[in-house]
Amino acid sequence: MNMFSSCMITALVILTLPIIMSSTKLYKNKLYPYYVKTATSYAFMISMIPTMMFIYSGQETIISNWHWMTIQTMKLSMSFKLDYFSMIFVPVALFVTWSIMEFSMWYMHSDPYINRFFKYLLLFLITMMVLVTANNMFQLFIGWEGVGIMSFLLIGWWYGRTDANTAALQAVLYNRIGDVGFIMTMAWFLLNLNTWDLQQIFITTNDNFNLPLLGLLLAATGKSAQFSLHPWLPSAMEGPTPVSALLHSSTMVVAGVFLLIRFHPLMEHNQTIQTLTLCLGAITTLFTAICALTQNDIKKIVAFSTSSQLGLMMVTIGINQPYLAFLHICTHAFFKAMLFMCSGSIIHSLNDEQDIRKMGGLFKVLPFTTTSLIIGSLALTGMPFLTGFYSKDLIIESANTSNTNAWALLITLVATSLTAAYSTRIMFFALLGQPRFSPMILINENNPLLINSIKRLLIGSVFAGYIISHSITPTTIPQMTMPHYLKMTALAVTILGFILALELNLTTQGLKFNYPSNYFKFSSLLGYYPTIMHRLTPKTSLTISQKSASMLLDSIWLENILPKSISYFQMKSSTLISNQKGLIKLYFLSFMLTMILSLLILNYHE
Amino acid sequence: MLKIIIPTIMLIPLTWMSKPNMIWINTTTYGLLISLISLFYLNQPSDNTLNSSLMFFSDSLSAPLLALTTWLLPLMLMASQHHLSKEPLTRKKLYISMLILLQLFLIMTFTASELIFFYILFEATLIPTLIIITRWGNQTERLNAGLYFLFYTLMGSLPLLVALLYIHNFMGSLNFLMIQYWIQPLPNSWSNIFLWLACMMAFMVKMPLYGLHLWLPKAHVEAPIAGSMVLAAVLLKLGGYGMMRITTLLNPLTNFMAYPFMMLSLWGMIMTSSICLRQTDLKSLIAYSSVSHMALVIVAVLIQTPWSYMGATALMIAHGLTSSMLFCLANSNYERIHSRTMILARGLQTLLPLMAAWWLLASLTNLALPPTINLIGELFVVMSSFSWSNITIILMGINIIITALYSLYMLITTQRGKYSHHIKNIKPSFTRENALMTLHLLPLLLLSLNPKIILGPIY
Repeated sequence: MNMFSSCMITALVILTLPIIMSSTKLYKNKLYPYYVKTATSYAFMISMIPTMMFIYSGQETIISNWHWMTIQTMKLSMSFKLDYFSMIFVPVALFVTWSIMEFSMWYMHSDPYINRFFKYLLLFLITMMVLVTANNMFQLFIGWEGVGIMSFLLIGWWYGRTDANTAALQAVLYNRIGDVGFIMTMAWFLLNLNTWDLQQIFITTNDNFNLPLLGLLLAATGKSAQFSLHPWLPSAMEGPTPVSALLHSSTMVVAGVFLLIRFHPLMEHNQTIQTLTLCLGAITTLFTAICALTQNDIKKIVAFSTSSQLGLMMVTIGINQPYLAFLHICTHAFFKAMLFMCSGSIIHSLNDEQDIRKMGGLFKVLPFTTTSLIIGSLALTGMPFLTGFYSKDLIIESANTSNTNAWALLITLVATSLTAAYSTRIMFFALLGQPRFSPMILINENNPLLINSIKRLLIGSVFAGYIISHSITPTTIPQMTMPHYLKMTALAVTILGFILALELNLTTQGLKFNYPSNYFKFSSLLGYYPTIMHRLTPKTSLTISQKSASMLLDSIWLENILPKSISYFQMKSSTLISNQKGLIKLYFLSFMLTMILSLLILNYHE
Repeated sequence: MLKIIIPTIMLIPLTWMSKPNMIWINTTTYGLLISLISLFYLNQPSDNTLNSSLMFFSDSLSAPLLALTTWLLPLMLMASQHHLSKEPLTRKKLYISMLILLQLFLIMTFTASELIFFYILFEATLIPTLIIITRWGNQTERLNAGLYFLFYTLMGSLPLLVALLYIHNFMGSLNFLMIQYWIQPLPNSWSNIFLWLACMMAFMVKMPLYGLHLWLPKAHVEAPIAGSMVLAAVLLKLGGYGMMRITTLLNPLTNFMAYPFMMLSLWGMIMTSSICLRQTDLKSLIAYSSVSHMALVIVAVLIQTPWSYMGATALMIAHGLTSSMLFCLANSNYERIHSRTMILARGLQTLLPLMAAWWLLASLTNLALPPTINLIGELFVVMSSFSWSNITIILMGINIIITALYSLYMLITTQRGKYSHHIKNIKPSFTRENALMTLHLLPLLLLSLNPKIILGPIY
């Protein structure tokens, strides 16, 4: 069984090869993107071997190799955990990245720094692998921060644009807020359990985990763009589309959910945190679905739908079904990455036009993209026997049959229905109807790099859910029996969403645009959240730092209390004590008087 | 220890006897060789110290700082070549001699085994620094900055002299190695409280503690590049080093005397880092970031647990290299743009891509990206302060967020965005500058592979 760990290490090492090679002449070569893509595909294929073995035998492994340091009673070493989650997620992530890299060879081909772009993508992938396979919290933190910084670099790829830089900074800021939670959890574990190793944390008998779990929840909120820390995800769409496809749909943003799944042994008995997670997820999934309804930027819609799905995953964790949430992460990776790639294909074909109102009729000119986009959207909404169905349907069913609170369940169902609505909106405006784009554009999607990469994910979006859910025995017992109406709820709300959205779109298409209502404004202005939080808080804190920290304290008080007052009192006292007043004229006058007097007296002296 | 001190002294004749075109290269090479010798002290075979003589010793607390000091001299020489290129030869030699003299004093300060000897050298380092700041600074404000620098640190450290004389009187010795065995717990009385204050204030001013930090931004901004580098990298660490040495004398008083200073540091670290957010002056931003990082060290030293001492030592070394690198980068901008204002130097990534890479790495180490030693230092400090009081995590967390913000704000303002037209015809970056950045970054990266050599004596 040595093949298991050695193959896994080989896969990880293969990924680092192009990074090492970037210091050689190879990096100057035009073929460098090709090497990176090939290395990723090899890593995928090699990582399939241990995954197959895992599926066959179910063995889990921990590899500890390099002893980094021992601090007093705590040992830190490089250690990989190859269990259910990492063994399934690694090939999925590698597969998706492979496709995205091929896609970006097409999308970024005119970029002068395409080699560096590929290096960044690969570095990101490596940090993601570190995050997924980490067996202790420090290593997890390396990956955790690494993906954050790589997302900063990749979102700000077009560094000449102010928006891109702002979005990159925003992503780091929100992620950092989450990191504080992570650091607090690390501190708590160190203090109370004296370890950062996962397996040692899980065997603890301590049962008051509220504080560290709150920290983890905060960390997940930041990384997975849950409500209150969500605005960075739609802003991150300023980055290149392959970045959105890789980071902001399938890998980085699910890291938060993944973290909670990793720590579910602590969470499964803690009702408080579960309820919090459930409510947070439910609010997120509904709020972002509402925001997605009125967006016109195709990437923003997909981004909000990602955010909504992340909320759904949090709901799943909240109802104590981490394995289902994990299944949804895996299936979601396929079709969401593909949706981004399809929108990238559309955007590129229409000369960087992202507004769905200026598209229309694309099913004639971009037939392949249209097919994939429709299949992806259907998979996203959970249409039976597509990939999304196998996880989403199960999630809704188990939420329906669990004794969770009805409020959270209800808004999750509403959000599910809205998923169908905004998916319809993309299809309706971008693909159907009459063309509204400029007729002068030369549209061509027949590039093998584009077709092959989307095709691979397309096959994944159709079959992956089936394959994954059938080759792995469910680890938590799914609900076996339920009434018909509960079984059909997920499907019913989705179809309801479809029909409603289609009818609304059809009826309102020819109508004059009325003055927007308050509901519309709430949705299109993203619930006023960025308007408030991105103006009020920075303004207050920057004003405080300017006025009170810098001006009042540093420049006035501290300056006056010590140096200024000392010199002032010195000066005052010296002028007071001394009898020299600086009255030069008077001194000279008296001097002159003396001189004259002395002259006179001396002269007239007999 | 003489095998470092005598070569350092011999650097001065080397400077004065070198041919005019060889003064920089000779001294730099020689300085690098000296720094190689100092690396041997990092290997501390036993728990005890390495006693070289009655005067000098080194243990695992002073050895990393010693290595940092010797490592920094060649870097300072490399960094200030352009700054002095217009000066006559004698003045160049004088400048180099000043740096060497400062180096000499610093080496002896870190290795002195007598407290009073330590004190004399601690004060002696002020003289060359003052000359460097006031003689070779760029603007008229340098005189004011020199005045602030001198008076703050002198005022802080004079009571220490009195305190040391008193301690010597009742203990009979001021030898570091001996007092740790002879020390009696101090009874709680007003006079002992003043003793505590006298001992700690000297180092708190040097660190600097928030409230007593005004000299630092002024001195940093006005000093020439070598002055800023050595101030940020080594002189501030004298404070941390002194505090860690002298707190052994001051037990059990530290337990309650620490509270006001802890509060001041925790509050000040947020204040100073939020000042960073509003800075337009690049050097001033880096200086305030130093104050904020040093506040973490003060907190760690005052908590007095093994973890916090490890964190403080690691953070001092990490911050020494990082802030020195940031000052070098700021200086390379200044030499091209002739202004410290950040907004005038925006969009440099387009023009100097390699320099942008250094900027990126420096900012990332400044915001403590794992697994750099900056993170190890900060993480340990956060852990120990969390165990001291859970609530401090809020303040620490805010500081972590703001640190990341201003580091990246600095990066984005100077490197990203569209470049402005007045910087179109700037010089490309020199090999000297790239080598300088590499020499800063290499130790940072290599130390993250094996951080235990900089974790101090309690590791």
